[in-house]
Amino acid sequence: MDLFLQALINGVILGGFYAVMMLGFSVIWGVMGVINLAHGEMIMLGAYFAWFLNSNYGVDPFVSVLIVMPVMFLLGYVLQLVLINRVVDRPILASLLVTFGLSIAIANLAKLVFTADLRISDTTLSGAWAFGGVTFPVTKTAIMGVALVIMSSLHLFLQRTRTGKSIRAAAQNKQAARIVGIDINRIYALTFGICIAITGVAGAVISPVQAVFPFMGTPLTLRAFTITALAGLGSIPGALMGGVVLGIVESMIGIYVSGIGTNLAIVASFVLLVVILVTRPQGLFGGLRPHEEPAQI
Amino acid sequence: MKRLTTALAMSLALLLMLTACGGDDTTTTSTAAATPTTAASATPTTAGSSDTTMADVPEFAGTIKIGAAVSDTGTYAREGQDTRHGYDTWLDWVNNEYGGIKVGNDRYNVEIIYYDDEGDSDTAATLVEKLITEDEVDFLLGPYSSGLTMSTSAIAEKYNVIMVEGNGSSETIFERGFKNIFAVLTPAGNYTQSALKALADLGAKSVVIAYEDAAFPTSVAVGAEKWAKEYGMDVLAVETYPVDVSDVSAIITNFKALDPDVFVGGGHYKDALLFVRAAKEQGWAPGGMVITVGPSNPEFVTEVGADAEYIIGPTQWERTMSWSDEWFGTPEEYAVRYEALWSEPPSYQAAESTATALALQLAIEAAGTIDTDSVRQALYDLDVTTFYGPINFDETGKNVAKPMGSIQIQDGVINVVAPAEAAVAEVRYPMPPWSDR
Repeated sequence: MDLFLQALINGVILGGFYAVMMLGFSVIWGVMGVINLAHGEMIMLGAYFAWFLNSNYGVDPFVSVLIVMPVMFLLGYVLQLVLINRVVDRPILASLLVTFGLSIAIANLAKLVFTADLRISDTTLSGAWAFGGVTFPVTKTAIMGVALVIMSSLHLFLQRTRTGKSIRAAAQNKQAARIVGIDINRIYALTFGICIAITGVAGAVISPVQAVFPFMGTPLTLRAFTITALAGLGSIPGALMGGVVLGIVESMIGIYVSGIGTNLAIVASFVLLVVILVTRPQGLFGGLRPHEEPAQI
Repeated sequence: MKRLTTALAMSLALLLMLTACGGDDTTTTSTAAATPTTAASATPTTAGSSDTTMADVPEFAGTIKIGAAVSDTGTYAREGQDTRHGYDTWLDWVNNEYGGIKVGNDRYNVEIIYYDDEGDSDTAATLVEKLITEDEVDFLLGPYSSGLTMSTSAIAEKYNVIMVEGNGSSETIFERGFKNIFAVLTPAGNYTQSALKALADLGAKSVVIAYEDAAFPTSVAVGAEKWAKEYGMDVLAVETYPVDVSDVSAIITNFKALDPDVFVGGGHYKDALLFVRAAKEQGWAPGGMVITVGPSNPEFVTEVGADAEYIIGPTQWERTMSWSDEWFGTPEEYAVRYEALWSEPPSYQAAESTATALALQLAIEAAGTIDTDSVRQALYDLDVTTFYGPINFDETGKNVAKPMGSIQIQDGVINVVAPAEAAVAEVRYPMPPWSDR
């Protein structure tokens, strides 16, 4: 029983970890129709940023979030204005190419700047809390906390504020949004900025539990794909649920299948992806973008 | 305004592209358009010594071309860098200080052509084929990791080009009856032997093993299981995990429930970080943790700090070992030379790469020609002791002469703790809880 509870806790916490990592990817896709293949690299940049502040100035990664967030926002905002905006309305292939190029460029740039050495940052929020027979990993529970805070604030922002409503309007119908006077370019830049900020924060908070290195991004982008498909584009509750579903599946298989469990969990996540794509292409929870026109290629 | 942003975007894109393609002079990111860069021209000069020795260097009779596909990007970027630095340390020494390889009465300059294999075995195989057919190299040096050595050595065998390597230790590499592969390092199956023996002597009774699903870690795990049983310990569980793993908490949760005395982790550098952090966050401190690749690298202590304490790691080589040779001197002298070139202490991956190139050089000199068959015979006949340890190849190409050591991180220092004849400190066992360090 303890083992089952532990597997469940591990899974839920892993889910929070996944959800915060992929939220930005999902919202950008949902709002702009841009698949950001450089998403993993944005996580990597956030992680390096936090590591840098941690190893040079002793800033805890959970505190450095306050610095990482605005800087990454700015990066996202500028990136959107000068680069991504040019491919938003183009066939999907154009945005794939641009973001793929971006991911290669950023990964190699990071290698020049930070070298290929693997890094990991230190946090005071470490160790384990034991309750009865189960253990809560402190760092990952804190990550889950950050994930929940970010998701609820983003949810409130999108639902309640004027800017948030504009973003949703732009996602649902760009033409109509333009007609009512929404500055689409500004909204897109804002969305991209916010998403990259969140992604950077995700990178910062995972830097104490993940090895940080220039090429860590690609597997993370793949994972973001899986969860986005599970969750539905841009849906915030969906992101959390999708992450948690995947987390629990992986954790249960990892614990109950002996020998090859962790290997099999990866297989399971992609099998799940295929099943969802076939049966519910809009994702488990729908999303920001109505399921509409097929992609023009 | 519009024009300005366009120009800005274009230049930014161009800049990004330039850094991606040309930023690193030994990197080629695309397999199809790969252009070689030779390390000979880019070799850093040894401070002070080069000017005086240059005058004594005789005219070179020619150039021996050596090729190597080594990771510069991808999963093995860190270990690949150590491998290159190890090769380049030898290259710098042989060209600038030793005066080139002696072939008969002539001296030959050496050039190493590198490609970036991106940590992918298909890419590595393609690049080695390119090295042989287009760049027409005379010899090959190995890539980093057993998986890549498996695929590239098959190409070397196909074209009958000798590959000497020092970073692929999986036994499976040598079980294929190839006659062109030689490895200076101790095979993976023996990695954990001295550590497990020391722990068994201290009273450890049970072992759990987790390993990455790749050639080298599999050999380590198979070996660990064998040695654990040999020394009378129970193997309670064996788990595998994928190469790109980002979470090992399920494995650690399982192991914690089994409450074993010793944890053996077979993987690469990244996994060592993951295991240490995962064990800590699950509050699990077994009596001993033996983890491959990570702990013996000086960077490991710097990165994880106090959490690295008590971790045991197999090591091919340490600077405190007592070998010595007439070329690089003692391990300590080698380490000083390496630090002068690369401003960081050498990992064992770097040392074995230097030893790899040195073994090839000694065989060429013994053969007195660069003819493949003669050099191969010279490699079989080679029986020397180097700064890296004894080198003597058996008929499969494995180095059977060198024992494997074990280190433990004690008060931030990497100390050799086993085997007894090479140890500079006692094994600290059992490991205290994470909160007590």
